[in-house]
Amino acid sequence: MKLHRITAMLWNYYYDTIHSADRLFDVFYWPILDIFIWGFMTYFIQGLSEVRLINVILGGILLWVFIWRASQDIAVYLLENFWTRNVYHLFASPLRTSELAISLFIVGAVRSFVAFIVMAILSYLLYGFKVISFNILHFSLFVLILFLFAWGIGLLISSFIFRWGSRVQVLAWSIIWVIQPFSCVFYPLSALPLWAAKIAVFLPTTHVFEGMRASLQGLAINYQSLAYAFLFSVIFLIISAWVLSLAIKRSKHRGLLAKPE
Amino acid sequence: MNVIEVKNLVKTFPSKNGKVKAIDNISLSIKKGEIFGLLGVNGAGKSTLTNILTGLTLPDSGTIKIFGKDFLIHEEEIKTRSNIATAYYDLNRSLTVRENLIVYAKLYGVQNYQKKIQELTEKFMLTSHLRTPIKFLSSGERTRTVLVKSLLNDPELLFLDECTVGLDPDMAEIVRDYLLQYNKETGCTIVFTSHYMQEVERLCQRIAFLYQGKIIKIGNAQSLLKELNLQRVSLHFSNNIEEAKKLLHRENIPFDENNGILVFWVKNREKILYPLLEKFVKYKIVFDDIHLNKPTLEEYFIKKSRENKR
Ligand SMILES: Nc1ncnc2c1ncn2[C@@H]1O[C@H](COP(=O)(O)OP(=O)(O)O)[C@@H](O)[C@H]1O
Ligand SMILES: [Mg+2]
Repeated sequence: MKLHRITAMLWNYYYDTIHSADRLFDVFYWPILDIFIWGFMTYFIQGLSEVRLINVILGGILLWVFIWRASQDIAVYLLENFWTRNVYHLFASPLRTSELAISLFIVGAVRSFVAFIVMAILSYLLYGFKVISFNILHFSLFVLILFLFAWGIGLLISSFIFRWGSRVQVLAWSIIWVIQPFSCVFYPLSALPLWAAKIAVFLPTTHVFEGMRASLQGLAINYQSLAYAFLFSVIFLIISAWVLSLAIKRSKHRGLLAKPE
Repeated sequence: MNVIEVKNLVKTFPSKNGKVKAIDNISLSIKKGEIFGLLGVNGAGKSTLTNILTGLTLPDSGTIKIFGKDFLIHEEEIKTRSNIATAYYDLNRSLTVRENLIVYAKLYGVQNYQKKIQELTEKFMLTSHLRTPIKFLSSGERTRTVLVKSLLNDPELLFLDECTVGLDPDMAEIVRDYLLQYNKETGCTIVFTSHYMQEVERLCQRIAFLYQGKIIKIGNAQSLLKELNLQRVSLHFSNNIEEAKKLLHRENIPFDENNGILVFWVKNREKILYPLLEKFVKYKIVFDDIHLNKPTLEEYFIKKSRENKR
């Protein structure tokens, strides 16, 4: 593993970002839109409830951005190189799959934090929500678990891209929104119907958002369920990495990295 | 010393009607400092061979040694010391020429890359395009950018897969000159793929002819290309064709017959064709028309592969 090759890919993504309105758009536009819509709606409903509903909802939106951006960016930046058939030259270069994966982890993480910071500032200005009211230890733990899971998803989508080419790109944008309703981002696990709850407890995200609500309300955190979420995400990430390496190997067997058109 | 040693390489691809044997048991060695030509018609297997040697495609079986090392074990080191250019694959289209070159310079760990990029883009006349995204370049400019990329790391082994396609003749000439000079100065080994005979003739010291995944001929460029000096003779008859066929049989010249046209090949006009034509006159075998052509590469390969099957 060589640092200079990872930074080379980071430059690649940086240049991609400054040349592409889309890439800038999706760090800022959607997260900001979320803050506005959900925030105002909660503000409206707030009167009906006792708890500081707005904090819980904004906390959900803010944490969600980590898994959202980190998983999607991995696939999107990889796709960028597929669309342009630049993969041919990348794979002829000494770049290793592990270096490619790590560079994608980093770009996803960095963009998540950028979006998070923008959203945090906006939440404070609009609703007086202070991010610093998060317990920093809890928060770091949540973000870590979300990143691990997001990277796993990102690598899995990437392996689909290697397997089926850029025609499966819709997955890059949609998988995460299938997971969201089951992840209890905005409502507690107890609010789900039984069948959905069965799926939800399985997902690491559910445990993170349950933990977040407890943390924000000053309640005790269930560390056992967070340990499960952590372990699940690590194992999932390892499996995804393995699937990706198989998918790349298959592409090389089929000659898909250099297929005549 | 052999820079490339390939033994019993086989590669099949699945295709609509079964399987394609893109590489059919190829063994090959290429020496250090050699400019080696892979010549063959479309679909002969030139790109597949190049892609296997650059780690883009995995072979079904066979062994590959590059720089004396097993390719699969030392892939990273081997790739750091070699490079590839082709007219068929661009760099990242949204990035500018300069940005792409920076990314690849860093990937290959090039020291002092700003200077290197400056030098090479000057040589390939791209300095005015440094800030242009690839997607706004002409195909020739894109190809030149890829060529610059392939030279960034001062490769000891350079693969060029149809790298002059789409360049205008002047530019292609400049590229060939540069490659010859680079080879002479650095002793870089070059594997050059093309279906243009003249180009290969100018550059390469040794050539392998590929046809349907097989090497049907390999050797010194000069002597192999001399063989291509064959002439194809077509004689058109409206009558007398039977007598003409008898004469060719007597002279031991194999021919094809097609709608009153007899087609055969001669190596030497003075020694074979002219005496033959004199015999036609002597026996009063009249033909209507005669055509002499140099064969296209394609015709040559078909002829060669027929001979091989016999
Ligand atoms: N990735 C691939 N999948 C399926 N068939 C392929 C692939 N790459 C090459 N082929 C087939 O293998 C044969 C050799 O192709 P190629 O090596 O590209 O030839 P050349 O470069 O000499 O024109 C052709 O029949 C081609 O269609
Ligand atoms: Mg080819």
